[in-house]
Amino acid sequence: MGSSFFGVLQRVGRSFMLPIALLPVAGLLLGIGSSFTNHTMLEAYRLTNVIYEGSMVYTVLDIMNQSGNVVFANLALLFAMGVAIGMAKQEKDVAALSGAIAYLVMNTAIYAMITANGGVEAMPPNTTGESLGITTLQMGVFGGIIVGLGVGYLHNRFYKTQLPQVLSFFSGTRFVPIISTVVFLAVGIVMFYVWPIVQSGIGLLGNLVIHSGYIGTWIYGIVERALIPFGLHHVFYIPFWQTAVGGTAIIDGNIVQGAQNIFFAELASKETTQFSVEATRFMSGKFPLMIFGLPGAALAIYRAARPEKRKVVGGLLISAALTAMLTGITEPLEFTFLFVAPFLYAVHCVFAGLAYMLMHIFGVGVGMTFSGGLIDLTLFGILQGMEKTNWQWVVIVGIGYFVLYYFTFYFMITKRNYMTPGREEDGDVKLFTRADVEARKKGDSAGSGDAISAMIAEGLGGKNNLSDLDCCATRLRVTVRDAQKVSESLLRQSGASGVIIKGNGVQIIYGPQVSVIKSHLVDYLDTINEPDPEVIDENKEHQELVMSPLDGEIVKLVDVPDEAFAQGMLGQGIAVLPSEEILYAPASGVVQSVFESKHAVTLVTDDGAEILIHVGINTVEMEGAPFKVQVSSGDRVTIGDVLMTFDRGAITAAGHLLVTPIVICNSDEYQLVEGLIEGEITHGTPILRLVKGGK
Amino acid sequence: METFTYKITDPVGIHARPAGQLVKMVKGLSSKVTIAKDDRSAVATKLIAVMGLGVQSGDTITVTVEGENEKVDAARLRSFLEERL
Repeated sequence: MGSSFFGVLQRVGRSFMLPIALLPVAGLLLGIGSSFTNHTMLEAYRLTNVIYEGSMVYTVLDIMNQSGNVVFANLALLFAMGVAIGMAKQEKDVAALSGAIAYLVMNTAIYAMITANGGVEAMPPNTTGESLGITTLQMGVFGGIIVGLGVGYLHNRFYKTQLPQVLSFFSGTRFVPIISTVVFLAVGIVMFYVWPIVQSGIGLLGNLVIHSGYIGTWIYGIVERALIPFGLHHVFYIPFWQTAVGGTAIIDGNIVQGAQNIFFAELASKETTQFSVEATRFMSGKFPLMIFGLPGAALAIYRAARPEKRKVVGGLLISAALTAMLTGITEPLEFTFLFVAPFLYAVHCVFAGLAYMLMHIFGVGVGMTFSGGLIDLTLFGILQGMEKTNWQWVVIVGIGYFVLYYFTFYFMITKRNYMTPGREEDGDVKLFTRADVEARKKGDSAGSGDAISAMIAEGLGGKNNLSDLDCCATRLRVTVRDAQKVSESLLRQSGASGVIIKGNGVQIIYGPQVSVIKSHLVDYLDTINEPDPEVIDENKEHQELVMSPLDGEIVKLVDVPDEAFAQGMLGQGIAVLPSEEILYAPASGVVQSVFESKHAVTLVTDDGAEILIHVGINTVEMEGAPFKVQVSSGDRVTIGDVLMTFDRGAITAAGHLLVTPIVICNSDEYQLVEGLIEGEITHGTPILRLVKGGK
Repeated sequence: METFTYKITDPVGIHARPAGQLVKMVKGLSSKVTIAKDDRSAVATKLIAVMGLGVQSGDTITVTVEGENEKVDAARLRSFLEERL
């Protein structure tokens, strides 16, 4: 129960990544555009001669400003579509379309309800706003998330639904936008009644947070950092950044909700004299932590490493520290000590909370697009000037943080002998660092990517064990079918700095190069010859799978050089050209008969399929010589039991072909007998899918 | 109901391919056909059952044909068996 909840949350958090990934770019446009069209700033940097209203440069900058702004203004729609895409298992394009439609329909339904109930004037103040030109309830990004999650669910539930013949045009993926429209029309009506209650709840929570003062900021910082190992931090901070939980402000006459929205609205406004610290308190703390604190920790880890290991460890730490400093992506560094020294991570969380609190106390008003690296500090702090942002405190506190982190980490690592990189016993560290180096190498060479991909795939229990694969900024997020099959040590060898397994959710932390790793892995998985797990998984109760009884190569039944088989006279099926000499049970059931000449076996599976396996072509003529059958009629067998062994050499020497048809004698009772795979296979790989029902 | 017996002369008996041909042929008939060897019998449209009889060369099978066209069908079956098995 707990783990399936984690699985769902993980999916939700991951589905946020697509819209969130846009924010840095939108933020850059907005940051550069608004900074250099701001009169006060232009005067401060004596640029009024170059950039003035009406000039070409000014117009371009203003376009950048407004283009960035429109992204933030319509985040709810982006979330409606992005989350729907993230939650959909297949046919994600349809989910995106449905998300957009459902968002429009829901808001329009709300608008109609507002009109029918006396219009905006009759609503409590500050509860309505505009979205895409529709007057609706202030739902902020929550509105989009509700739509995205709902549509994602409807999509997964219905995208394969078959409607009755007359309506079949509207079946499957076409049904998804239809059902989404109908459902979200109803959701809109319900929201009209329910959302105001939620709004007052959010309002209360927001009030509580605002009145919690510095302590509240501290707790926010601790929780945010503590959720990182679980990958759930996005789920936690988004409400603060994007909804009224993080505050409400009126800027240039518009109601703006959420800390990040407030900051960017202030950034775009010409009226801002100082950024609202009540908003940036949920952001600014990251700057001293990431630009100064964590690099201090990296230096401590480096100094604590054995001298002979420092060179290798140093490369690793420098890249991780630079990543944190520039972009504010901290996981690569944090995961070097999280697993070996959880207590150190706990200390780190407390320091992180303090960083937020100190920024709050010193009135630092620097916002960010995504995280707290130097790029964001430059754009949203330094360029905006000290009067507006008090950014100098980031540096002052930051220097203190560097020292604090360095000494705390160095002292604790050496005192408690934590096995941070470069301190492990010999065998271990070699493996770990070599794998890390490999992992970094593969960023630029596709060749070694395959070896890593193979390692990851195997570590995850094989392609068939993967139900779902995605990545966020630093980690590969996977849902597996059977967590037992996951090998943590193998995954670590693939270059991961950490592996988290919760229920069927697996997160493997690689750092920012994860998207490259993921692409390699996806390409690699495409080349692996195992049938699409989605196909195997669907309609489990109606279908039956037949596994390959042999190691070898798939041959299509029509290509079998024996007319009786090729024409399907003995039933539909598939054939395998064996590369080994053992025949295994392709399904669980009862052996019906073993031919007198031992070259063929029939068996009836527990689900009623009647399978004939005929080893070789015309091998009846060999009168049993090359075959050693290990079962007899009436025996119960389960998948993978050995049915017989055979002598390939003898069969070929006698001039017979080895190709072995596997046919379903009662094919008439199935509406579908489908080959799942081509090329090389091993025994136990699903090769046929049977779907019950007469033709 | 028409019943006749037939002694298999094909050296390898009713193995997979002839069984498939037999079943296909029977499916084209309107009568219900069963084939028996010793005390075991099989509905002749069930391939797996026919193969399961394990009919060898020299075995004698009993063929039972039942239905509106049983006489014609039995004759056709007999000639099929004589020709192929």
